[in-house]
Amino acid sequence: MHVVVATDGSQASLAAAEQFQQIADGREITEVTVVAVVSPYAAVPFANELPGRRNAEPTDISFQADAAAAVDVVAAVFDGWGPTVHRRVRSGSPAAEIIRAAEEVGAGLISLASGGRGLTATILLGTTAARVQHSAPCPVLVCRPTRTAPTGAAPPV
Amino acid sequence: MTTSAAAGSAERSELKRSITARQLYFYVVGDVLGSGIYVLIGLVAAAVGGAFWMAFLAGVAVAAVTGLAYAELVTKYPQAAGASLYVNKAFRRPVLTFFITICMLSANMAAVGSLASGFVRYFAGVVGMSEDAVIPTLLIALAFIAVITVINLIGISESVGLNVVLTFIELSGLLLIMVIGVIALVQGISDPAVLLEFSGEGSKAIAVVSGVSLAFFAMTGFENAANVAEETIDPSRAFPRALIGGMVTAGAVYVLVSLAAALAVPIETLSGNTLLEVIRADLLPVPVDVMLVVFGLIAMVAISNTALVTVVAQSRILYGMAREDVVPGVFAKVHPTRRSPYVALLFGVCVVGSLLVIGAVIQLTGSELDVVDRLATITVVFLLFIYALVIVACLRLRGSDETPDTYRASTPLLYLGIVGNLVVLVYTLYDDPGSLLWVAGLLALGVVLYLAERVSTGRRPPAAVTTETDGRA
Repeated sequence: MHVVVATDGSQASLAAAEQFQQIADGREITEVTVVAVVSPYAAVPFANELPGRRNAEPTDISFQADAAAAVDVVAAVFDGWGPTVHRRVRSGSPAAEIIRAAEEVGAGLISLASGGRGLTATILLGTTAARVQHSAPCPVLVCRPTRTAPTGAAPPV
Repeated sequence: MTTSAAAGSAERSELKRSITARQLYFYVVGDVLGSGIYVLIGLVAAAVGGAFWMAFLAGVAVAAVTGLAYAELVTKYPQAAGASLYVNKAFRRPVLTFFITICMLSANMAAVGSLASGFVRYFAGVVGMSEDAVIPTLLIALAFIAVITVINLIGISESVGLNVVLTFIELSGLLLIMVIGVIALVQGISDPAVLLEFSGEGSKAIAVVSGVSLAFFAMTGFENAANVAEETIDPSRAFPRALIGGMVTAGAVYVLVSLAAALAVPIETLSGNTLLEVIRADLLPVPVDVMLVVFGLIAMVAISNTALVTVVAQSRILYGMAREDVVPGVFAKVHPTRRSPYVALLFGVCVVGSLLVIGAVIQLTGSELDVVDRLATITVVFLLFIYALVIVACLRLRGSDETPDTYRASTPLLYLGIVGNLVVLVYTLYDDPGSLLWVAGLLALGVVLYLAERVSTGRRPPAAVTTETDGRA
C-alpha cells in the first residue's frame, strides 16, 4: 500500500507522522510519500515550525525551501522503517493538492494531523483535514493533537 | 535531530509550481487597479485640471519602468522578499536592508489606511451618509480593516480562482466608466478641449507633476507580484510578460478612464470626489439610483481586493523579519489551524487603525486634512524611494547571477526611471512637507521593533543573527 503523509510544517504534523507509524504495520506498506503544500497567495505560504533549514543570508527566505525542509524532517520519521520514502512539495490549495497527490500515486491511505483542538477548530469549518476527509479517494487517518503540547522529541526508531 | 536525507531509499524533494503566466497577469492587474483610480481620481483631477489623464500617463510610465527593473530582478532571484532581497544582494549592508524593509512595511500600512478611507467614500456614497462626519467615517474605516484582517486570518482570500473573479469585477466597473465617456463624447456633453485644460496658474509641467505623485499611488501594488515569484511556472518567461503586460493594461485603463471621466462631468464636480460623480451624470439608460449602488459595490470590491493583498504583503514582511530575528520572534507565530501569521496581522491592523485615528483627531481639531490624500502621499514617498533604490540595485547587479534566460531591461530606460522616481519624490516632499512627520513616525516604529528584539535577545548584532532561523524550535 502507498501512504500519503501530509505536513504543514507544524509540530502536530510531525507527531501525527509518528503516531501513524506506530499504528501502521510496516510490512503492509510499500511506499510512503511525504507531501507539503505551499499556498502562494497566503500571508505565509508555508510556515515551517520544525527544526531544520537555516537561511543562507537575510532576505533569502524561501517558502519552497522551508516546505522541503519540513518534508525532510517528517520523512526522517520513516528512516529505516522499510517502505520506500518519497518527498514532494506541491503548490496550491493544501486540501486539493493533498488529494491530488493521493490520486497521482494511487494512495491507499492519507495520514495527516487535524489542525488543532478547541474553539477555533470547531467554529472555523473547512480545515484542511476536514476537506481532505470530505473528498479523498481513499481512507484518511486524522491524528488528533495530544493533550500536552508535543515537543520536538526525537522520532522513535 | 536527523534532518539530513540519510535514508538511501529517500529521494530529494520534488518541487511543483502552480502559478501560470496568465494567473500572474490577473494578479498584477487586480492588485494595481483596485488601489488607485477608484480612490484617487478626484484628487488627481483637482490637482491638474481637465488634462489630469496626463498625470496618470506619466505615473504609469514611471511605474512601468520600475516594473522593468522588478522583472529583471525577479527572473534572477525568484524569491519572495522583493525589494529587501534585491537591495541586500546589491549593497550587502544589513542596515540598508533593514531600512528598506521597514520602508516597505510602512508603505503598505499607509496604503491600507488610504484604501480604508477610500472605501468609506464609496460606502458613504452608496448608503447616503455624509463623508464629513469624522467619527462615523472613522468607525467604518476601522471596521473595514478589521474585516480585511479577519478574512486574511481565516485565509479565504487565498484562492487563485477568486483572485481572477475579483479582477474581472474591478475591470467591469472601469469599463462602465469608459462606456459613459464614449456616450458623453457622442452626445457632446463637454467640449473635448477640456482634456487639454490645466487648473492653476503655474506651468503645465508642474501641474502634471503635482498630479503624478498621487496618480503614482494608482500604479502601486505591482511589486507584490514578487511575492508569488517562487510559485510561478517558468518565471524568466512568465514574469516580464505578466508584470509589464499587467501594468500596461492597468495604465491603459487608467488613461481611458480619466479621459472618460473628464468628458462626462465638469472637473469642478469631479475634484475631490469619487467616480460615483461620473455615474451621477446619468448618461446610461439605466436608473441612476441602481447604477450608483452597483458601481459603489464594484468599487468597494475593487478596493477590498487590493487591501487584502496589501495586508498579506505587510504581514509577510513582518513574518520574514521575525524569522530573521530582526524584529521580535512573536511576529513569526502562525495560527495552529489556519497557518496565518496572526500576531503580524493583528499588529498591522493596530498600526493602520492608529494612523486612521490620528487622522481623525487632526480633523476634529479643525485642521483641513484629507486622510486619503495624506496616507496615499506617505505611501508614495516610501515607494518612490524604494523603487529608485530597486532600479539602482538592478543596475548594480548587472553581470552577476545571470543566466541565458535572464530578462534584461533597457539600461537607458532604467536611468530614466531613477530620474523619474526622484523627481516625483522631491516634488512630493516639497509640495507636502507635512507628510515627512508621518514618514518619520512610521520609521520610528520600525526602530522600536528592532530595539525590542535587541533588548529581548541581548547582544546579537543584525549581521550575526541572520544565519539563524526559527528560534522557537
